[in-house]
Amino acid sequence: MAILERHFEQVAIQGGELPEILLPTNCPGCGIALEKEELRAHNYVCTNCGHHFRLGADVWIPLIADESSWTERWTDVRSHDLLNWTVPKRYQETVETLLEEGLNEAVRTGTCTLDGKPIWLATFDFGFVGGTLSIVAGERLARGMEQATSSHTPYVLISASGGARMQEGVLALMQLAKVNAAVGRLHDAGVPFFSVLSDPTFGGTAASLALLGDINIAEPGASIGFTGPRVIKQATYADLPPGFQSAEFQLAHGQVDMVLPRTELRPLLAHLLEMYP
Amino acid sequence: MSVWEIVELARHPQRPYSLDYIRRLAPDFIELHGDRLSADDPALVGGVGSWHGRTTVFLGHQKGRSMKDRVARNWGMMHPEGYRKALRLAHHAAKFGFPIVSLIDTPGAYPGAGAEERGIAAAIATAIMEWFRIPVPIVAAVIGEGGSGGALGMGVADRVIMLENSIYSVASPEAAASIVWRDNSRKVEAAEQLQLTSREIVAMGVVEEVVPEPAGSASADYDAAAEALDEALRRHMQPLLEMDAQDLMQHRYDRFRYIDSLVTAEPHFGPKID
Repeated sequence: MAILERHFEQVAIQGGELPEILLPTNCPGCGIALEKEELRAHNYVCTNCGHHFRLGADVWIPLIADESSWTERWTDVRSHDLLNWTVPKRYQETVETLLEEGLNEAVRTGTCTLDGKPIWLATFDFGFVGGTLSIVAGERLARGMEQATSSHTPYVLISASGGARMQEGVLALMQLAKVNAAVGRLHDAGVPFFSVLSDPTFGGTAASLALLGDINIAEPGASIGFTGPRVIKQATYADLPPGFQSAEFQLAHGQVDMVLPRTELRPLLAHLLEMYP
Repeated sequence: MSVWEIVELARHPQRPYSLDYIRRLAPDFIELHGDRLSADDPALVGGVGSWHGRTTVFLGHQKGRSMKDRVARNWGMMHPEGYRKALRLAHHAAKFGFPIVSLIDTPGAYPGAGAEERGIAAAIATAIMEWFRIPVPIVAAVIGEGGSGGALGMGVADRVIMLENSIYSVASPEAAASIVWRDNSRKVEAAEQLQLTSREIVAMGVVEEVVPEPAGSASADYDAAAEALDEALRRHMQPLLEMDAQDLMQHRYDRFRYIDSLVTAEPHFGPKID
């Protein structure tokens, strides 16, 4: 705990100014009226109850990366509709609409520095088809991991994903193997891999790289698991206890190393990069 | 035949299951039990048998025939202990240089609270990663249902083949319908969209071969189905037995690393690696 206490006063340090996000008027955790600027300065964690708002890749990147250090890679790799998916909506249309809105697939990756130390950063974007693992996402993850392996650069992952993308069928499933093959090589090469699990991390993403970090860090209140609660209830008619599959539940069941408030994440990562050179 | 009819054949209650094949391939099969940590998962059978003059480790999802047996086998849905048992037997194979044959037949990993509590996601993740480090030849065959991460957790191999009336999918049609429409009764539509039949899967470059089944499907003639599977497995295993372990593992890495190359070769998909 000493590390966390030491850094506790430094909660506001971060790379660039965080962009604004769409916020409700009241906190879904405690109901207080939200002060946008205060919340933004607090990494979008409610100052009253500690509710962690979901962030897109456009917020995670400046939250982790030092200002002007981010170099994004493989932005022009694109999804396309290989299964001719038409229901409930044409997949091609779904993807094009999201691209027009300025999102760029469910995983974005690149290099940056964190407190001056070079890292590879990959972040899921829940806004893009639920942050689902697609061919493009898998390709970006595997390429980044391979480069981190050969340059011996620490790898930081931020997860927020519903699992594999249905609309890409069995090839989406194959991304689990593609990515885990690369994770294995990263580990073999002795490269540190710090995995941050934010809300939600499920299915094929939890069953591939997200839980394979050297250190797994979960955000408070994040839901993390393999099968979602709705499907578990449908399949087994079981009543699930409150807090089932929460970050705290996964800590108690040995799946993550810690549950850490977002305000303390960057100082912790900075310290870990010193400890795992 | 419609897509849904193929799904029904893949799930047919009279379809041969892993042990029906393993006992025909290796009549001296000895089943080995347990993950050496806490339990033995009956949804996955594993053991050693002599196959074409060579001791081979066989692994397979196992479904039950009677209601009692189905419950005991948990419908072929593995718990975390099953993946840990599989890895234990994979390391056993590696120690003795035995090749591995893995038979896939599962709707998916068990979607229940106990599996979650004991870390099913991490168990599958670890299995998928570890298969790439096993320095002996592995051939996998989808013999019925290849459902989701539960199947892939047993499906990282040097060659993967499918029986003609088997399916391989990112999620079961019911789960996909539940995810896409929040309505699992639209399973037929989902099955059609998913492209999960053996012919569609082989066309995507995800498996090496589709093994034809006897007239009336594998359910109609276990011996003929086992013979066809035996011939195909052996043909795929043969060249792997000659390979050096490092080459084998590099080949396995590349097989999955570029498994979507038929898609990525499309000009509008984006650049190849730079």
